[in-house]
Amino acid sequence: MDTVLWRRQLLAIVQLEWKKTLFSKRGIWVYVLAFLPALLFGINAYRVKSIRAEQERMSVSAPNASAVSNKIVAGMSADVAAEALRDAKIPYSRFTRGRRLEVIRYNDGANAFDLMFREGALVDKRKRNQALLSDDIRAYAGMFQYFYLRLAIFFGCVGIFMNLFRGEMLDQSLHYYLLAPVRREVLMVGKYLSGLVATILIFGTSTALQLYLMLSAHSNKEVSDYLAGEGWGHIAAYLGVTALACVGYGSIFLAAGIIMKNPMVAAASILFWEGINWFLPAMLKKFSVIFYLQSLCPVVAPLNSDIPEPLKLLVTTAAPISAPIAILGLFTVSIAVLAFASIYVRKLEINYGAD
Amino acid sequence: MSDSATIVFEDVSRFYGEVLGVNRVNLTIPPGITSLVGPNGSGKTTLMNMMTGLVRPSRGTISVRGIAPDDPQALFRIMGYCTQFDSFPRGYTGIQFVTAALLMQGLPAAEAEAKAWKAIEKVNLVEAAKRKVAGYSKGMRQRIRLAQSIAHDPQVLVLDEPLNGLDPLVRSETIALFREQADRGAHVIVSSHVLHEVDMISDQVILLANGYVVAEGEIRGVRAEISDRPHQIVIRCDQPSRMASKLFEHDHVVEVRIHPDRQGLLVKTTDASHFHKLLNKLALDGIYIDTIAPADDDVNSLYEYLIGDEGGN
Ligand SMILES: Nc1ncnc2c1ncn2[C@@H]1O[C@H](COP(=O)(O)OP(=O)(O)O)[C@@H](O)[C@H]1O
Ligand SMILES: [Mg+2]
Repeated sequence: MDTVLWRRQLLAIVQLEWKKTLFSKRGIWVYVLAFLPALLFGINAYRVKSIRAEQERMSVSAPNASAVSNKIVAGMSADVAAEALRDAKIPYSRFTRGRRLEVIRYNDGANAFDLMFREGALVDKRKRNQALLSDDIRAYAGMFQYFYLRLAIFFGCVGIFMNLFRGEMLDQSLHYYLLAPVRREVLMVGKYLSGLVATILIFGTSTALQLYLMLSAHSNKEVSDYLAGEGWGHIAAYLGVTALACVGYGSIFLAAGIIMKNPMVAAASILFWEGINWFLPAMLKKFSVIFYLQSLCPVVAPLNSDIPEPLKLLVTTAAPISAPIAILGLFTVSIAVLAFASIYVRKLEINYGAD
Repeated sequence: MSDSATIVFEDVSRFYGEVLGVNRVNLTIPPGITSLVGPNGSGKTTLMNMMTGLVRPSRGTISVRGIAPDDPQALFRIMGYCTQFDSFPRGYTGIQFVTAALLMQGLPAAEAEAKAWKAIEKVNLVEAAKRKVAGYSKGMRQRIRLAQSIAHDPQVLVLDEPLNGLDPLVRSETIALFREQADRGAHVIVSSHVLHEVDMISDQVILLANGYVVAEGEIRGVRAEISDRPHQIVIRCDQPSRMASKLFEHDHVVEVRIHPDRQGLLVKTTDASHFHKLLNKLALDGIYIDTIAPADDDVNSLYEYLIGDEGGN
């Protein structure tokens, strides 16, 4: 075996490729996709911070606010409640919703409330979003699974891995690689590795940034409690799943870029396949990437309440598999896909412009 | 000659879908300078691409000094191929471009760069080597690609139309480089669509037309083979009978027939290059010549590269 030669060649390919891949003009939108969630959590951090600042201000200006708030109970009239708040110097807003519902909204320094009055009497006292870390952790889980994994990393890998061969065919520069004393399989693996370097760098950075922004808005105590508990584990898992998503989707789109003529058709069919993964029988689930990634996500993503009950049932009964098996499964799928692609890469011909 | 010293095509055909690339090619090519000559579309690039594994034969087998073209790891230790594609990976300087190929050979970085400089010296591009290839002239791009293909001292050097577009000085330097490679025992395979561009420098010539090898061997033999064959040419002109009588004054014109519509004539000649000069003279004498076209395909191709700088027009 020529393992020494192969290693040198792989290194040479990665060195030649990774920057090109990272800074290609075709790939700018990959960055947009990757950093959109970071932007969202940046905005969220700002929102959380201003809520916390508001709460702090309250605890100074109305120290007995929560005692007053506790005394507001069902049956109380809107006017009485409003007066109690006014006396305690708690700012509130009062408005009507629909024709018969009146709402008083206020914040007692610890919690935000909506008081619902029907025909003048309090019927419901609703706690509103309080900018708790636990809420953000759930929101992050949802964003990560529904947007980041399924769309951002997915299409990021479309953009980067699909172009590893196809892009050079379009530039008419692929033949330089094929005219080097490199086995086609080694070339393919080399390009795959450079795609991994680029995507893991881009998406890993974004994941880290998102998590940082999410945590940065919350109080030191909340954050250190979280980190002392399961926090570091979550962070490691999210970073790991990000990398594994690049491994899995990378292999698929590298293969698609070699095998298929039309990249968008390829991306759409794979998106569809991964999308219906939830509803597939156990056997078929295993031929996907999202199945394994989903099992490795540390926090169960909140289900949208709009999802009909029977579907919810399906989702929740999808037996999660253990982490080592999920990782093993994902690598198995990736290696199988690459092995399949290597058959095609050996047959690949230079046919610029003739496709 | 043994397998390990020759390039052998055995009954090789290649089709692009319905289109014929080359058909039933049998060749044994010894070391030295070999020219593949034929008009555009005759199959030169297809033969070279198959030899280098960029495309695969539909039928038949190829062996390059005992190595199959689908084994790049072995093949490109001994082979360099300068293709017809005038394209480059983005953002490279000349030296980076040549060094990259040597890194792929598995050389350590320092050694690769030293070898790259040597190759760049050979093509006289040292001054420009640190500039981006994107800013090079066409001739410079051709030379840097040439440098890349010779950098690892290949035993088999394949060059697709390497002289096309070079100015005369660079052209003779390039030819000297081919000679140097051939003299150290290498195969140098060069394509051209103009016979006289390469016939003086070649040890042997392979003539291609429409995907078939129509003649091969040492240049003298090939020349004879061409000139023995009468060439049929259709000429559209305004005074066909006057033209016919003028043409008949020459020995190499063996047959002239005036077209029924009296707008043209069919000529058979045994010496196409003389004939071409003659036509130029007649045109100066006031005969308006509309078109000149070879009358049958096989002769067409042979004829065109004999006379033209831009064969195939
Ligand atoms: N990729 C391709 N797809 C379809 N036809 C092709 C392709 N490459 C070459 N051909 C056809 O094969 C024939 C030989 O072409 P080529 O080998 O490029 O000739 P040359 O190099 O002598 O100009 C031509 O008829 C050309 O149109
Ligand atoms: Mg050609």
